[in-house]
Amino acid sequence: MKRYILSRILRSLVSIFLVVSVVFVMVYGLVPRENVFKGDTTINKLLSKPDTLAQYKNNTLERLGYIEYVEQQDICAANYADSYSSCMAPKSTQIQEWASENAGSYTIGYNTNSDNLIYATREIPMLQRIGSFYSKLIQIDTSSAVSDAQNPNIERKVYFGSDTNGVPALMCTGCTHKYLVYFDTSFPFIHQNFIELNLGTSYPSYSGQEAFSVITQGQGSYENSPTTFYDGTTKNSSALLHSCKYKSSGSITDAETQLYGDNYALCDSRYQDPSMIQTSSVIGIIALVLAYGIGIPLGMTLARRKGSYFDRIGIGFITVLIALPSLALIYFMSVVGASLFGLPDKFPFFGAHNPISYVLPVLVLFLLNLPGILTWVRRYTIDQSSADYVKFAYAKGLSKKEVFNRHILKNAMIPVVQGIPSSIISVLSGALITETVFSVPGMGKMLPDAITGYNNPMVIALTLIFTTISVVGLLLGDLLVSKFDPRIRLTTRKGG
Amino acid sequence: MTENQFEFVKVDETASEHLSAPRYSYWKATLRQFFGKKTTIFMLIIAVTIIAIAMIQPLLSHYNPIEMPNILDGSKKFLPPSLEYLFGTDQNGNNLFDATWAGAQTSILIGFISTIIVMVLGIVVGAIWGFSKTVDKFMIEIYNVVSNIPYQLLVIILVYVIGRGFWPLVFALTVTTWISVAYSIRVQVMIIRDREYNLASQTLGTPLLRMITKNILPYLVSVIVTMVTNYIPSFISTEVFLSWLGIGLPEQVASLGRLISRYTPFITTYPHLFWIPVGVLALITISLYVLGQSLGDASDPRTHR
Repeated sequence: MKRYILSRILRSLVSIFLVVSVVFVMVYGLVPRENVFKGDTTINKLLSKPDTLAQYKNNTLERLGYIEYVEQQDICAANYADSYSSCMAPKSTQIQEWASENAGSYTIGYNTNSDNLIYATREIPMLQRIGSFYSKLIQIDTSSAVSDAQNPNIERKVYFGSDTNGVPALMCTGCTHKYLVYFDTSFPFIHQNFIELNLGTSYPSYSGQEAFSVITQGQGSYENSPTTFYDGTTKNSSALLHSCKYKSSGSITDAETQLYGDNYALCDSRYQDPSMIQTSSVIGIIALVLAYGIGIPLGMTLARRKGSYFDRIGIGFITVLIALPSLALIYFMSVVGASLFGLPDKFPFFGAHNPISYVLPVLVLFLLNLPGILTWVRRYTIDQSSADYVKFAYAKGLSKKEVFNRHILKNAMIPVVQGIPSSIISVLSGALITETVFSVPGMGKMLPDAITGYNNPMVIALTLIFTTISVVGLLLGDLLVSKFDPRIRLTTRKGG
Repeated sequence: MTENQFEFVKVDETASEHLSAPRYSYWKATLRQFFGKKTTIFMLIIAVTIIAIAMIQPLLSHYNPIEMPNILDGSKKFLPPSLEYLFGTDQNGNNLFDATWAGAQTSILIGFISTIIVMVLGIVVGAIWGFSKTVDKFMIEIYNVVSNIPYQLLVIILVYVIGRGFWPLVFALTVTTWISVAYSIRVQVMIIRDREYNLASQTLGTPLLRMITKNILPYLVSVIVTMVTNYIPSFISTEVFLSWLGIGLPEQVASLGRLISRYTPFITTYPHLFWIPVGVLALITISLYVLGQSLGDASDPRTHR
């Protein structure tokens, strides 16, 4: 069994790796790179200044990993440091020399304005790009992480300390984060900053933000609450002190140094609305609980009364729900809900804090999940009810109710159980269509938004997340079903 | 009762050699079962009518989604359904009747073409997969990787990467789906070919072709038919959904999804603009789905009496 799980995990990792790599190559290789600027408003402002525009575009492409971009000052500083000032002249002999030497690998361009300075770009090969994506993917924070030229003597150690509330925490100086492990009052109570996922930087939407923090960070406006800082003052602030990162001495202000006591002043903020992943999960979990809570007993009842009017109505209902395009169902529900019950048909009307915003998305998601569960529960129950052990149970004199609830239920549930982990985990990836119709700020809406906005890093990040979610769900489902039913063995034994 | 009321019958020496089983034809039994239900005939009429209109009407109307012939004529805006404009007109004076059927034609074509591609590839590969062990080793690894990818994610990213259009969309919808079809066919072939009646039939000297057509195929037909009829509506739904999101078909191609998304703002003010395309879409998918279910049931030899 252990060997099986190990090989399964390895295969899953290979699957994820293959899928993400293929998508990476396709997205960065086949989608025209000019497209990434379509959603960027800065471009229009720069149209009158061709040099700045070229510089901006090249800088952006470098940040996205397409190219390596150097300007004359970089070339001079790196190669001709001793004759820097003469090198910096327009078309200087040094720069001409460098240009002719590197003409093969770099594409040389000239600024069109008076200074006529040179810049050069070099295509980064796809393999190198994939390599750098995976090598930066998992970042482990160590006490040698900070390199700040203006603060070379920073103390480097990991130690047990306590935060501003006096709660013990594993802290660090010299790491990127001040707190490595800490406790607080929000789920799951113990948190870590040791290991971080670096999925790239989002662009052009959520420009400059880490792709992973776009989906995990709160949304909406800042929420201020009284916060006690390190100098003892209490201020109304949105800063989350546990999340603070190192801020270089060049950019930190005196006020910040005083408030925070050291360089760890780059904190995440507290927001009023939950993150995308949280919003999707809340809606998804409630809908799932409803779907299984109602689907299983209802499916059993349909099977028990097979052939009756009740069963036929149930089957008709299932057929319509399955065959009806989800788009039609969602709009139908939203119109009915809005006009008959006055429910909001757009999530942001009342926002994330009003339970009434969740009613329609949850209801629709429930209706989309229900027919699948109903069909399978009914099917499996009917299949079981002609088994020998059921006939024997009747022969013993048990009532129909007892036979169904005590004997058939457990056996019919086996295939249903297999799908449960998968459905639970997939709530994290949100419901694409529901969230789009109801404008729910969740995970599901993120993929079409990223695609229509040409946000390539986000597409890669979401591919990685969604594939991982699906792989883990399938694995957990198989493990759970083998726990639930000891007859099912995932490994074949020799001679068995 | 006297003796002369009886007469002697000649003993038929060959009678004991004949089997007394009733004549059975698989396809006749299937059709009898299929047309035996009233709902099926009703759904068949609906489906045939809609598909016929969707295929013929656009040929007569020459609808082009980019042209707006009545855009300057203010009197033709937001007309309710009438005899001249059966489904009414929209904010640009476009005839919704033409637009709906042109969109339905695209959707139905995408559904049918994608299903044909998926089924042909899936059945051929699946049959080989079920019989050959070397192919099995190789294909099962591919299947393990492909089955891990969320379908919607894959289709969306493929359309994003290879560009929008009718054939790119067909490619994105089918490129991995056929592997799932092949996998189910493989499982079915493996189950059926090792059953006792097939072994017995083989021992009695039935030729391979006859085994395939008379012993294996009838059992596969109901599986295949059920798959076909699940795939057609699901491809149609996916196409409509992607076009509605704005990432499926481009502006130049008529599409129900685009119509629905374009008329969503009028859902309360001019409901006919929104609900007519949605209704046509629902009729297409529901009738095809119900037909498929009945055909799947009817083609299962176990239901034949």
